[in-house]
Amino acid sequence: MAKKVLIIEDEPDVMEYLNTVLENNGYRTYTSTDAENAFAMVKEIVPDLICLDIMMPRESGLSFYKRLKETKTLKNIPVVVVSGVIQQGEFDFRSFVPDETIAPPERYIEKPIVVDDFLDTVAELTASDRTG
Amino acid sequence: MPKRKMEKSKALTQLLYGQFFQQLPFNVAIIDRDYNIIEANDNFTRYFGDWHNRKCFSVYKKQDKPCSVCTQKEIFEDGRTRVVDTVVADKDSRWAHHVIQSAPLRLTPGGPVDYILEITSVVTDTNQWQQEYNVLFDRVPCYITVIDEEYRIVRANESFRERFGDVLGQYCYKVYKRRDKQCPRCPAARTFKDSKIHQSEQSGIGKDGKKIDYAVMTSPLVRGEERVAHVIEISTDVTQIKKLEKEVLEAERLAAVGQTVAGLAHSIKNILMGLEGGKYMISLGLKKDDRSMIDRGSDMLDRNFDKTTTLVKDFLSFSKGRLPQLKMTDPNALVEEIVDLYKDIAGVSNIELKARLKPKISPAPLDPDAIHTCLTNLVSNAIDACLMGQQKGSEVVISTRDEKGKLVFEVSDNGSGMDYEIKKKIFTTFFTTKGGGGTGLGLLTTRKLVQEHGGKIVVESQKGKGSRFRMEFPRKRLEMLYRESE
Repeated sequence: MAKKVLIIEDEPDVMEYLNTVLENNGYRTYTSTDAENAFAMVKEIVPDLICLDIMMPRESGLSFYKRLKETKTLKNIPVVVVSGVIQQGEFDFRSFVPDETIAPPERYIEKPIVVDDFLDTVAELTASDRTG
Repeated sequence: MPKRKMEKSKALTQLLYGQFFQQLPFNVAIIDRDYNIIEANDNFTRYFGDWHNRKCFSVYKKQDKPCSVCTQKEIFEDGRTRVVDTVVADKDSRWAHHVIQSAPLRLTPGGPVDYILEITSVVTDTNQWQQEYNVLFDRVPCYITVIDEEYRIVRANESFRERFGDVLGQYCYKVYKRRDKQCPRCPAARTFKDSKIHQSEQSGIGKDGKKIDYAVMTSPLVRGEERVAHVIEISTDVTQIKKLEKEVLEAERLAAVGQTVAGLAHSIKNILMGLEGGKYMISLGLKKDDRSMIDRGSDMLDRNFDKTTTLVKDFLSFSKGRLPQLKMTDPNALVEEIVDLYKDIAGVSNIELKARLKPKISPAPLDPDAIHTCLTNLVSNAIDACLMGQQKGSEVVISTRDEKGKLVFEVSDNGSGMDYEIKKKIFTTFFTTKGGGGTGLGLLTTRKLVQEHGGKIVVESQKGKGSRFRMEFPRKRLEMLYRESE
């Protein structure tokens, strides 16, 4: 069965790009342009992976992330942050989320993406034998 | 002269000298090279007791050896008069402050010093106060000068002399500012005219050639009932404070630039992502022979090339690193211009645009074009917020006022308002809630322009209730920038 990936991204073109890349590689995609709406979708779909942008209007990606990790039933869903604020794969997560009980996201990917690397990451994080 | 008459005259002279010596209202003594007191007047005897066969240090200081620093010894060596201020003890060993004036006596003119004449007077309370006043005058951490009606410095304290040099008798404008004529906005001139205290902030040049910023207060010095004959100028050095103020201003500007660059990078990354996306979809469409995917890819390319153009244009106008072109401007006139410009646009969407202006607000040194841009950005945002809020009776109000020394422009609306998350972000990045419609540069530009005026922009907002953007310009800072730009 195809793995379910939820893409949360406010830029329509970026969204379409990620969506096309994933669909074309056999993933079942769901999309949301804002974090508020996305939370309801996560509960309903329970995706295998979430692609999350950080800078979004209304609720930011990080506040969505915190909410996700504070929800017992959802906190094990892996998250890959795809954002322009990431520089050379690094992001100072703790300066935004100092709460140590909240684990950092599984992976950060800088925009613009390199398609093959992005797909490798998605494949790795959605692999059935992945533990944790 | 007959011999008898000459002897009579000599006797008279001796008598006069004797009387004079005895009657002097000071303690007078004569000391030889071995510190022996060889003669003293009645006053001296009354005050210090019997001095015969005693040395000066024994009489004055009740010591049995010479003082470690001995004025007499110095006078015997260099023959110069001295005045010292010291404590000595009277015959009952009560110590008191005295001023001792010592002068050399020579039996042969031009010869060695044979004796020293010492006149000792007790420092009374009045003298003490005078002394305290002198210390205060000289040492208070302010520059103090007394100037006469010709603007000549007739007195200057030590702090002043240290900073500006020894300048008695010189014209104050020459000394303070190295000018050849009286300074404009001279507070002393006003004090001469109206006998009142005046204050002003000025910049001068120290004796080392360095610029000094000072806050000066001028007070009238009236002797008798006459007109003001002298003015006291008391100045506090604010050079350091001014420097710090400038550094803060500079830091604020730099921070804005830093955030802008980070924001720009973020914005460009999103556009690049759109361009890559378009390219990807076109090549995928070609591979799959999917016409609609090729079209979508091509649209993506178009949109993101357009975005690049807009961004570059906006950024160029934003990055114009220029100092504000300040000129005296009526704040209300600026607002009225904006209302005229936007009234119709707002009216089409049933939004009422109003001005609430403080009547007769003082003009201020502003860059009218810059403030025009700021108000345009804020008003167009406010109109957008009203459109998003979709309430009935929407209104946007622009107001002006003076508040605690600050000139304030305010743009408020009863539109959609913002929640905390958005409020945090509006100034920090290329942030837009207008989807493809905005570049997120409007408020950044506004903040930059406001900061270049030494002001700040504050926002209050409540989701669903509306927003209030306030631009505050401290008038003192505006004046400082204005003076610098002159």
